[in-house]
Amino acid sequence: METSLNPAPIAALPLDELETPPLSLGQLTWRRFRRHKMAMFGAVTLLFLFAYSFGGALVIPESYANFADTTLRLTSPSMAHPFGTDTIGRDTLARTIYGGQISIFIGLLAVLIENLIGIIVGALAGYYGGIVDSILMRITEAMLNIPEIFLLIVMAKFFGGKIPEIPLFGRIFSGSVVVIVVIIGLTSWMYLARIVRAEFLSFKESEFVLAARATGTSNFGIIFRHILPNSIAPIIVSATLGVANAILAEAYISFLGLGVQPPTATWGNMLDGANNYLESAPWLWFFPGLLILLIVLSINFLGDGLRDALDPHSRTM
Amino acid sequence: MGRYILKRLLQGIPLLLFISIILFLLMMNMGDPVATMGGRRVTRSSDYERLRRQLGLDKPIYVQYLYWLAGNDWAKTDLDGDGIAETSGIRRGILRGDFGASLLARKPVLDVIGERLPNTLILMVASEIIIILGALLVGIYSALRQYSFMDNFVTAILFIAYSMPIFFIALISMYIFAVLFKRWGLPYLPTVGMFDPQIGRTTAQVLWHMILPVLSISLISFAAYSRYIRSTMLEVMNQDYIRTARSKGLPRRDVVFIHALKNASLPIVTVVGLDLPLLLGGAVVTERIFAWPGMGRLFLDHVDRVDLPVVMGILMLIAVAVVVFQILTDIVYAWLDPRIRYEK
Amino acid sequence: MKRKLLFVLAIAALALSACGGTPKTEAPKTTPVNSTTPAVTEPPVSQAEKKVVTLIYTQEFDNLSPLYTSMWFAWTTWQMNNHWAWEFDEKNEPFPRLVTEIPSTANGGISADGRVITMKLRDDIKWSDNTPLTADDFIFTWEMAVSPKNTVATTYPYDAIESVTAADPQTVVVTFTEPFAPWLATLWHGILPAHILRPVYDAEGTIDNAEWLKNPTVGCGPYNFAEWESGSYARFVRNENYWGTPAKIDEIFIRFVPDDASQIAALKAGDADLGTFISYSDVPGLKEAGLNIMVEPNGYSEWMFFTLNKEQSNPAIFDVNVRKAIAMSIDRESINRDLLLGLTKVPASFWDALPYYNNPPLTNYPYDPNAAKALLDKAGWVDTNGDGVREKDGVDLVIEHATTIKEIRQDVQAVMQQQLAEVGIKLNVNPVDDTLYFSSYADKGPAAKGEYDIQEWSDGPLFPDPDLYYWKCDQIPTDENPTGENWFYICDKELDSLITLQSTQVDAVERQKTISKINQLFYDKVYLIGLWQDPDVYAIGSRLKNVKFSGVTMFFNIAEWDLVK
Repeated sequence: METSLNPAPIAALPLDELETPPLSLGQLTWRRFRRHKMAMFGAVTLLFLFAYSFGGALVIPESYANFADTTLRLTSPSMAHPFGTDTIGRDTLARTIYGGQISIFIGLLAVLIENLIGIIVGALAGYYGGIVDSILMRITEAMLNIPEIFLLIVMAKFFGGKIPEIPLFGRIFSGSVVVIVVIIGLTSWMYLARIVRAEFLSFKESEFVLAARATGTSNFGIIFRHILPNSIAPIIVSATLGVANAILAEAYISFLGLGVQPPTATWGNMLDGANNYLESAPWLWFFPGLLILLIVLSINFLGDGLRDALDPHSRTM
Repeated sequence: MGRYILKRLLQGIPLLLFISIILFLLMMNMGDPVATMGGRRVTRSSDYERLRRQLGLDKPIYVQYLYWLAGNDWAKTDLDGDGIAETSGIRRGILRGDFGASLLARKPVLDVIGERLPNTLILMVASEIIIILGALLVGIYSALRQYSFMDNFVTAILFIAYSMPIFFIALISMYIFAVLFKRWGLPYLPTVGMFDPQIGRTTAQVLWHMILPVLSISLISFAAYSRYIRSTMLEVMNQDYIRTARSKGLPRRDVVFIHALKNASLPIVTVVGLDLPLLLGGAVVTERIFAWPGMGRLFLDHVDRVDLPVVMGILMLIAVAVVVFQILTDIVYAWLDPRIRYEK
Repeated sequence: MKRKLLFVLAIAALALSACGGTPKTEAPKTTPVNSTTPAVTEPPVSQAEKKVVTLIYTQEFDNLSPLYTSMWFAWTTWQMNNHWAWEFDEKNEPFPRLVTEIPSTANGGISADGRVITMKLRDDIKWSDNTPLTADDFIFTWEMAVSPKNTVATTYPYDAIESVTAADPQTVVVTFTEPFAPWLATLWHGILPAHILRPVYDAEGTIDNAEWLKNPTVGCGPYNFAEWESGSYARFVRNENYWGTPAKIDEIFIRFVPDDASQIAALKAGDADLGTFISYSDVPGLKEAGLNIMVEPNGYSEWMFFTLNKEQSNPAIFDVNVRKAIAMSIDRESINRDLLLGLTKVPASFWDALPYYNNPPLTNYPYDPNAAKALLDKAGWVDTNGDGVREKDGVDLVIEHATTIKEIRQDVQAVMQQQLAEVGIKLNVNPVDDTLYFSSYADKGPAAKGEYDIQEWSDGPLFPDPDLYYWKCDQIPTDENPTGENWFYICDKELDSLITLQSTQVDAVERQKTISKINQLFYDKVYLIGLWQDPDVYAIGSRLKNVKFSGVTMFFNIAEWDLVK
């Protein structure tokens, strides 16, 4: 939003009507983002959910979350157990806290893998073109040709049970968490690769690239210091939405029995475990379901807002 | 154009070969089909050896792949375990159209798939129609009334639907509309299957049983599609030619439906065209929950018991369909947008 | 443009479906004149007046032929359109079906040396196309089972038979190479029709591709197979040509519903009359909805088996006192009471369902964590470094436990983990997908390679026969013998000789003595720990009457089932 270049004498103008320095991309984005109410709601909710899962762990120890008292199985919410207890008497509230950590981890790590592979493949294919492009795109197409759910199932069985537990950040993660992260990452990079490739194709011949080449910047430098920062917008949007996708994919695979294995809790496998108790113990699905809904919803709002804010063609402003 | 199509088809072949190799390798490490042939017990060792030999599972991977690809009627197998290979095989291999026989049902794979294909098509095509029609309506309305109350409200609802795992929506809707409605004396929907056995398989029954599964599938894609249409429409509506049309005084309806929509249809066609062949996979989870006998369930059941020929058959069929549909989409694309031309 | 195309496609697809365009396996038109080939497309009016019972199967049978499948769900259909020579009632006692009486030493049916079984067939038994069922069919069934050209699911026990001959059309003489004790429970699970299949075998050299295997339209049971639409349903209609008392219900409709929650929803909504393999957690809800729950023992119980693999197992479990301590650290009673809702019991003996052989009856090791701790201390396993886990000679007491992915198993694993932690044992749980778990030694199947200290699954003797075979020394899998079945890697000479002995003892009294020795040995050496008994659990709708189940021939009285409005 440009300030009007009012031809009044400068001395007569109040200070803030003087020409302001141009806004950076970040500031511009933030301004547009702020107007998107749902995106703000999403961001706030996300912060809350992070605080719930990671802050909550400071209040409730993990041993409490795993403590099973079978005589208390399936009790409805009460003062002692605000979210009720599950099929072997563990406290649902505590499990949603620790389950949230795993779900969020899976979301973030899967997207990390997905982005690494997608960006590298897309950048190389778009930048070098020719044979490199052909081969990489054939591989991408091959993976895209197989429906994601099939790939997930096949890979889950392939890797299942072969990866041991990993202790990290004071928690022990069962091997199945790693498996899930890897297979979700391996099955979702293709979309990003195509987007990145399209960006690189269009930027390859632009002036600033030619200039960089003329000054002798290496290919590596051009890719990572010049083109990539300019194509960051779709990558950010894709990454954000990718986290939501990963969380839902985890729930999906849990339904098929191939996800993270109990006793490790995730919101996805808690929801799946409630399938047989829809009527008799609704608290078993209500709370994990609500949390999944909130996190995916807020991520989607956030992503939507980011897309609108970063997209120069949008009608806002 | 013809030469372009031919070139694309030819390019598809090494792609398909490559896919088949990856899939075959993955399948090989997924477990043992003979392990669960013992019913509730582990297969007895005497049966185990015999079955592996008879089903050709004792050969190394590359040999099994070769047989799958080119058949084994040119090779001799040792059926009776005496170490001498004297019986010729009867398989002709996938290159000659023989997808092999299911290890479990002992029926040809194409028969097994063919029985389920129409069921999936019915479900998926109906869902796709509802999704597209609904998404168009909502997407266009949203684009025209961007950020109005209705836009935000509808967007919110759709986002909520989009954010739920599908198995959950399916189970909850089954519980509400089938079990609880019946209990409360309201008109209710059926729970599982394609028809009521007392009445038989009539069109009315199938349609009636289709309602819940289609609802579950549509709800989720609906949200994504409508957002996509909305953003595409927005992009188009901001173009110069729209402004020109409006300033020329053309009625709103014409502007939207004739000029804007036609140009927005391009990316929509791409998305739909690429989605269609994936329909063949069926909504795996929905089919399982509603006991709908489709391809998705077929895949799940047979992957579970590691029935290699059937699983490979399904995956290859889908891969072929995707390649074909990609070519079709490109052709339709070119037809719709006269600016696009493909090299000869 | 695109929309119109899609619309047309949709209409076409719908039209196709309505015309029954789905190729399903139907009754072929080429059957003998006298047969009652049921019409597949019946007019809707008479459908509504028929008595139709709907059963839900959570797994679809892979095929319907005796010999070609071992699936429980297929076995259930053999009381519908086929028969066993003798079947078993709700007390799992044998009663004659195709024979006039059960062969025994008293009536001369079993020879003195126990090798020859002579069966006298009824003279009124016939196939649904009016061809008489004779000894020839039995001989043919045996020939097909042992022919190397047929890809049958199992050749057991037919490969132990030297010959099957017919003295006359109503007499079948079965000669075993050695005395074979389990013959009563394992022989003649369904008969193949020689008059239909022999021509196929002679022409093609195998019956693998015979039409009858996919469409067993000719049968000898109270129902005839009508159609099977893969993934969806199968239909059986009353056999009007049945040689026995005609069935009361007109049609049996089997629907395949793989998802547990969906099965329960369908039962509650009244969309089905019978449900199979009901989980205990669903029982209260179903009872509330008005269904009856019936439980039938079948010899199976859920066991934890110790794997004594010198190369991979934790050295702790080689000490019988450690195994005893583990048995006493798990509160099995509370698991049964709380997680299984008290609907089943803790099994004390492998032969719990065959009380004749569990004699004198065993009692379980009690839940006594203090005694367990004392045993562990005495065995030299103490927690010196205060991490909560005992160790000895630098080895931690960490037990690898594996089972397949199933809700109740995972719940119990979590509880056991907690209970064992209280006595200082760390239990690592390893849930594995079942086709991976039961893979062979050659395929690096983890159970076959003895990678876990404790393996858990549901098993039992060859019910209703007390036979067992897993623990034989020569059955331990090695590279030279990769198909060995002794996945417990236990070579106990005494156990080995007892197992071999009992399988040859045709005299029940002698056999009982041998098995009770094995029973006691299992208890003393704690080779296995029982968790819960695993009977068949059925849910029956209120309109279905006269239903009885057997643990062996499940639907043995299906001809008597009736529907009331």
